[in-house]
Amino acid sequence: MHNQKLLVSSHAPYWHNGSSISGKSYSFMLAALPAVIMGIYQYGLPALGVLALSISCAMIWELLMDLAMRRPVSIGDGNAAVIGLLFAMLLPATAPWWLVVAGTFVAIIIGKQIYGGIGCNPFNPSLVAIAIIMLSWKSFMDFNEALVNYDLGFYMVYPLSAVKHMGTSVLSNFSMTGLLLGQQAGGIGTTFGLGLIIGGLYLILRGHIRWEISLSFLLGVFVTAYFFNIADPDKYAPPLFHILTGYSLIAAFFLLTEDSSSPVNFVPMLIYGAVAGFLTVLIRNIGAFVDGAVFAILLVNVSNPLLDKIRPKAMGKGTEHA
Amino acid sequence: MEVKTERIVAYGLAIVFFLVGIVCYAAFPVKTPEEPIRIMFKSTAGNILFDHKVHASESGYGIGCTDCHHTLEDEGEAPTACGECHEVDSEDPVKRSDAFHTQCQGCHEDEGAGPVDCSACHVR
Repeated sequence: MHNQKLLVSSHAPYWHNGSSISGKSYSFMLAALPAVIMGIYQYGLPALGVLALSISCAMIWELLMDLAMRRPVSIGDGNAAVIGLLFAMLLPATAPWWLVVAGTFVAIIIGKQIYGGIGCNPFNPSLVAIAIIMLSWKSFMDFNEALVNYDLGFYMVYPLSAVKHMGTSVLSNFSMTGLLLGQQAGGIGTTFGLGLIIGGLYLILRGHIRWEISLSFLLGVFVTAYFFNIADPDKYAPPLFHILTGYSLIAAFFLLTEDSSSPVNFVPMLIYGAVAGFLTVLIRNIGAFVDGAVFAILLVNVSNPLLDKIRPKAMGKGTEHA
Repeated sequence: MEVKTERIVAYGLAIVFFLVGIVCYAAFPVKTPEEPIRIMFKSTAGNILFDHKVHASESGYGIGCTDCHHTLEDEGEAPTACGECHEVDSEDPVKRSDAFHTQCQGCHEDEGAGPVDCSACHVR
């Protein structure tokens, strides 16, 4: 044990490995691209309008806040653009322009800047905005109502709402492959499961997000939904359905893994993800909301500082018996 | 990229995306089809998502326009929306909820198809 190398260090000078916040932001945008392109393909130019306006407004709010607070302009790091992009991906393609402007204001100013900017936000900014919009303008976030004028050739009732209100008899209208390939009503960038998984794996391989959080979230959703399903198969949907519908996959790879609102240590990450998954299904199945992912993640965001108290044993403090 | 370059790129992207957003919203709004696909009826008892296309199309239930839009003189004429005459609070001619209950529930019962329970249509 005494010969084990716990920490290898070397003298200065050091060489920067070239990573940057902007590089990370552009990776996020690249990872989100498959799901975004599918959203634009399905919902057309109105979806592009929501995405473009959301990204630009988020950047403009960030710039205005920087100027008002007399701080260095930070829109170059791309973080505001990513927040705007993720916010737009959660919206229906029919979101009016003022909803996008108000939502990005909430995301950037209330969700991020008032806490001190990047790295200081206790909640995921995009989710703060979506939560406020869900509570304030409910009908615009009701995908059944928002997408009444779209006929994309598949069953267009929002899957989670269909199951919640009509039980598992509606499952015959959905195929798991179809759900994975985006044949479901939902947000612009949340329906194409395969694209989100590919984007998520890319981010994991690049080291931008932690697999522990994504995997434990998906396991949390799966296990909780499984127990609900075996308890009452007529009422509660099977686990795979919960993973492929709603905000599950975008939450697992893009929302829950946000840096400053998620834990950094191994065990806390596992607990954080699993609890988020558990709460997501709990809210979906017995809560008031159709999709529980938004509030589940905001709730575990609150527990993040507490979870990070579970620290690994400090080096050199091991109890070695002579 | 240098910080300054990053910032210039960000300014550029913000302007381009803003213009694209404005153009998309102004020139390509969500099209409302001539014949409704689905209609969300708002009700205090819970909203109802009515699939107009499935009810009206030949590949669906193939119900003729005049079967529901009873003021229509002939099939080619543009039908009046139900709520135009059947208002929420007005009993004259028949208030909206009664008109819909008679029309929807009545047809479902007569045909022995479609939901008749409250919670099967009204979703809270």
